[in-house]
Amino acid sequence: METLYIARNNWDSFIKGKAENIAIFAPFEYEGGLFYSRVSPDIKKDIIYNRARTVEPLKLFLAPFKEKVVPELQDIPEFVIMGVSACDINGLKILDSVFMEGDYKDPNYITRRGKTTIIGFDCMSPYPSCFCELVGTHPYPMDGFDLNISQIDEDGFLVDINSQKGRFFIGNDQKFFHASKEQISKREQNRHNTTEKIKEQNRDFDIEHATEKLKGAYHTELWKHLKDIENCVQCGSCTNNCPSCVCFLLEDTGTQEEIRKVKVWDSCLFPGYARMAAGVSPRPTLYDRYANRLLCKYWYLVENYGKIGCTGCGRCIAGCAGKIDKRKVLTEALRER
Amino acid sequence: MDKNIYKPIRCMVKDVITESPTIKTVVLKPEEEFSFLAGQFASFTVPGVGEAPFTPSSSPYDKEKIEFTVMRTGRVTDAIHNLKKGDIVGIRGPYGKPYPLNYYNNKEVLLVGGGVGLAPIRALFLALLETINNYKRIVFCCGARTPDDYIYKGLILDRWHQLCEKHPLSFRITVDKKDENWKYSEGVVTKTLDGLDIDIKNSVAVVCGPPIMMKFTTLKLLEIGYQDSQIYLSMERKMYCAVGQCRHCLIGDLFVCKDGPVFTYDKIKDKPNIWA
Repeated sequence: METLYIARNNWDSFIKGKAENIAIFAPFEYEGGLFYSRVSPDIKKDIIYNRARTVEPLKLFLAPFKEKVVPELQDIPEFVIMGVSACDINGLKILDSVFMEGDYKDPNYITRRGKTTIIGFDCMSPYPSCFCELVGTHPYPMDGFDLNISQIDEDGFLVDINSQKGRFFIGNDQKFFHASKEQISKREQNRHNTTEKIKEQNRDFDIEHATEKLKGAYHTELWKHLKDIENCVQCGSCTNNCPSCVCFLLEDTGTQEEIRKVKVWDSCLFPGYARMAAGVSPRPTLYDRYANRLLCKYWYLVENYGKIGCTGCGRCIAGCAGKIDKRKVLTEALRER
Repeated sequence: MDKNIYKPIRCMVKDVITESPTIKTVVLKPEEEFSFLAGQFASFTVPGVGEAPFTPSSSPYDKEKIEFTVMRTGRVTDAIHNLKKGDIVGIRGPYGKPYPLNYYNNKEVLLVGGGVGLAPIRALFLALLETINNYKRIVFCCGARTPDDYIYKGLILDRWHQLCEKHPLSFRITVDKKDENWKYSEGVVTKTLDGLDIDIKNSVAVVCGPPIMMKFTTLKLLEIGYQDSQIYLSMERKMYCAVGQCRHCLIGDLFVCKDGPVFTYDKIKDKPNIWA
């Protein structure tokens, strides 16, 4: 992987120039949270570099909350998503496995994915809910991006080029230079500091060997004594905000003349999610549904796609209406296995 | 561009047959070729209403039409029951794994169907009939709640029954509760497994019916000596995509849509709430 250096003011003008020809979405701060907006001269705010994950998960761009799938999406213009945290890039790997890499390919997903350039950011100010280090990943992306930006100090960035698409985006711009050893080692120091911070804030939690330990942990009784689960109000915030939750339902909106289908996110925490026509549900209690989510994340997805479905982004914790800390529930559940 | 996986093939409704007070068979003529193997299913769209998975009940060898036998239980099945000749619906598929008929060669095949569960078994039975010399024998156990609830009566009690004279085939027929005209036995379908003279070691049992029926049939089969891996069960779950993406149909880590819908008991017996 090639690593370049660019001064911050040069990068700013480079992106401004690019944004005249292609849609670039980047994180901006609103009410203390980071949200993607399209980079344009109309936004009187600065792009927030290298802080932490956005409030919205990346999947909103690629598999939106509600979209027509019959008829499928027609051709769309290329676009760039900049400021994608490592946890969302890792979530993207699950989305790709589900929607693009199996025998059946989601038509809209492959259309959008083919038009997407992903520019990752290193995280430097993780939230208290962040726990990527607990799931074996890091606050900076290792792969799965086209470009990645690491701020090394107030004045400049390192830019990793990880694909032809990324190289094409940089083009022949003369403001990029090969990164020096000192610059690379400064980045290593920054990365180390963030990693240590995340480890430190998670030292009370132990979810090691979650996959092995959760195997067979289906039965309602195993979960009933974990009292925090009772605080779940089954709102679906955790699944909606999760960068790798993929569940959806299909609605039929057409007529006999023209069959139309709309795909909408669903949540396995909803009581109706698994309920069958005659009214019976294989997951009748809240405990069954809560357990299902954890089992799906840490075990089923490993069986299905060879990857755990949790990227440690912490959105399910930060956004929980019942203030459940999943790390605590999981730590307690695993302690007895 | 790949074909849109969610886009169904348009079909015209050729006929709607009332099988019982709660069960109808719709006969469809697809506008494009649609073929399936016994055990596979299709996703059936009623435009503007919704989509639900069903295993066809017609022969996989019938290329002219495809039939679905559907019990009225909810929104989509209500709409299916209200279909009229000439209506347009959609089907997509086939999905899931077929029954491994090659593996049934030279074996005694026990079929156990209850209520609307006879529908997928009908497709399997018709496929077995096409290659009946491959199997040592077929024993077909049929059950329903009452004589009125029996589907395919004209076939089971008459046309198929006549085949028993020429082929190594027998029927064991029961209803939970008989009426004055019923000539066959009374009792739940597991009763038909009493006194079964079958070489169990060289047999497979295929079961389809309501969950409670599948549960007690499985327990009975185990009791009379079948191994877990000899029992083929048709599993049902809520389903949308049918292609392993929407995750509604998971039984533990297994997808009913692509790992099933037919599972041998050994594959699922440790999974949660399998009889729900």
